Amino acid sequence: MNIAFLGLGIMGRPMALNLLKGGHIITVWARRAESMVPLLAAGAVASASPVAAARGQDLVISMVADAPDVAEVMRAVAQGAQPGLVVVDMSTIAPAAARKIGEELAAAGIDFLDAPVSGGEVGAIAGTLSIMAGGSEAAFARAKPAFACMGKNVVHVGASGAGQVTKAANQIVTGMGVLAVAEAFAFASKNGVDVGKVREALLGGFASSKILENHGQRMLDRNFKPGFKSWMHEKDLNIVMQTAHELGLCLPGSAATAQMFNAMVGSGLGEEDSIAVLKLLETLSGQA
Amino acid sequence: MKIGFIGLGVMGRPMALHLQKAGHELFVWARRPESAAGLPATWCATPAELGRQCAVVFTVITSSADVEAVALGEDGLIAGLAPGSVLVDCSTIAPDAARRIAAKLGEKGIHLLDAPVSGGALGAIDATLAIMAGGEAAVLERVRPLLECLGKRIVHIGPNGAGQVAKACNQMIMVAAIQAVAEAMHLAMAAGVEAGKVKEALAGGSAASRVLEVMGERMVKGDYAAGIEARLHHKDFGLILEAARQSGVPVLLTAVVAQQLNALMAQGWGRDDTASLQRVLQLHC
Repeated sequence: MNIAFLGLGIMGRPMALNLLKGGHIITVWARRAESMVPLLAAGAVASASPVAAARGQDLVISMVADAPDVAEVMRAVAQGAQPGLVVVDMSTIAPAAARKIGEELAAAGIDFLDAPVSGGEVGAIAGTLSIMAGGSEAAFARAKPAFACMGKNVVHVGASGAGQVTKAANQIVTGMGVLAVAEAFAFASKNGVDVGKVREALLGGFASSKILENHGQRMLDRNFKPGFKSWMHEKDLNIVMQTAHELGLCLPGSAATAQMFNAMVGSGLGEEDSIAVLKLLETLSGQA
Repeated sequence: MKIGFIGLGVMGRPMALHLQKAGHELFVWARRPESAAGLPATWCATPAELGRQCAVVFTVITSSADVEAVALGEDGLIAGLAPGSVLVDCSTIAPDAARRIAAKLGEKGIHLLDAPVSGGALGAIDATLAIMAGGEAAVLERVRPLLECLGKRIVHIGPNGAGQVAKACNQMIMVAAIQAVAEAMHLAMAAGVEAGKVKEALAGGSAASRVLEVMGERMVKGDYAAGIEARLHHKDFGLILEAARQSGVPVLLTAVVAQQLNALMAQGWGRDDTASLQRVLQLHC
């Protein structure tokens, strides 16, 4: 397929590389030209703008930071696109924002999928991302071969916005999960118990999870390098909380967790991995 | 003095009447013209037309977007107000929205005071509102005699936006207190104790507060008819959480109370009093 890939950050770059490896013809665009270099070296074609990148493609994929960026890129794509194009946004934005973009593109004859991912940089490099898609059956069918290059667990969840709803649900579970593991470790530590042994024991029971296993190990190693930056997790939890506010939805655990991440950003831990919430707990409990 | 007044709801209407009774001539505009019925005032076709006739205009409107539209929109106040005139915005809106509006008006030499109020419908009727002002001190002094018709405590907090920050702080404390009173009353009732007696005893001690007095009374009686509609507190909490996020300041209790307000909205109690937080607790048991 001819695919344009827009946005080549920590996630976008390896995702685009995996599409190249899958035999697709890739045109790339990024705001900072230097981030295109590794893709061009691997055989991608550079484009000067999202408008130009969208011309003559079978599929356009975007992976950028936030809803305003997505909206801006999509306006440009709509200018370059021919009717019948399928556009996939894999960024994490609010469900309502995704639905709005989908409606605007539909008016231009473009079929839009919201297809955010989970699995982080490691999953993007390995091509093992979880991909959760919202939009039409036809658009999903068109994008499926591309998804297969980037991810393993690919689910068409429902109509437009459903992918972002799923991603928000994912961030609720991972946000509280990271905090839960950090609290359990702080609890064990202040009780004078070997935290590594606690993790080992818990992995055999109902508390076992990927977060306990992977994030827990990094907490033990005190390796706070991202991974997934805590300011981005804060941004995602803000999407959750704003949506809850609009819907009249009571999420007390998410609310408390969002405030912990808010405090991390405020206290200068925003660029560290979200597991650095452990440091915040240690400071509050005089364990630092 | 010719005074413009926009927003004639539960708060705005008694405030406008106090100004009129003090001998000022009222010019009004409202999105729903019927809300001006029976008011001794001159009706204006647009905010711009109202602005052309007044040197001081008050607004008491619900949302940031509505205030921006009335102040800056097409046929907005900005198109009518003369340089040197003053917009006193008594609405509760986001601090950064107040700063944005002030900057736009400032380009035309028009002054903004963000002057949100606390005290509810009772305070508006009794002219005992607390008024927290953001803007130039000299501008506040110019309109202070007018504000004294509306409230007893008028405090200059700081530059534009500062009044709204103070109001956000007010709402955080007040609604968290309502939640605390609701939990206490709910606990008392669940324990088979007469809530009215508990409230009576508490009112004499360290837990005494206006919230306990007013909201506690409503909870004891199960009277949830609005004073101030809970949906407005729900709206305010959205603004507060966004402001806290922008500053990177954790607001733990506020965040949890916001979730109880979300539940309240889900039950369809948004137009009832915020004392309905007690009813949210009763959903559990």
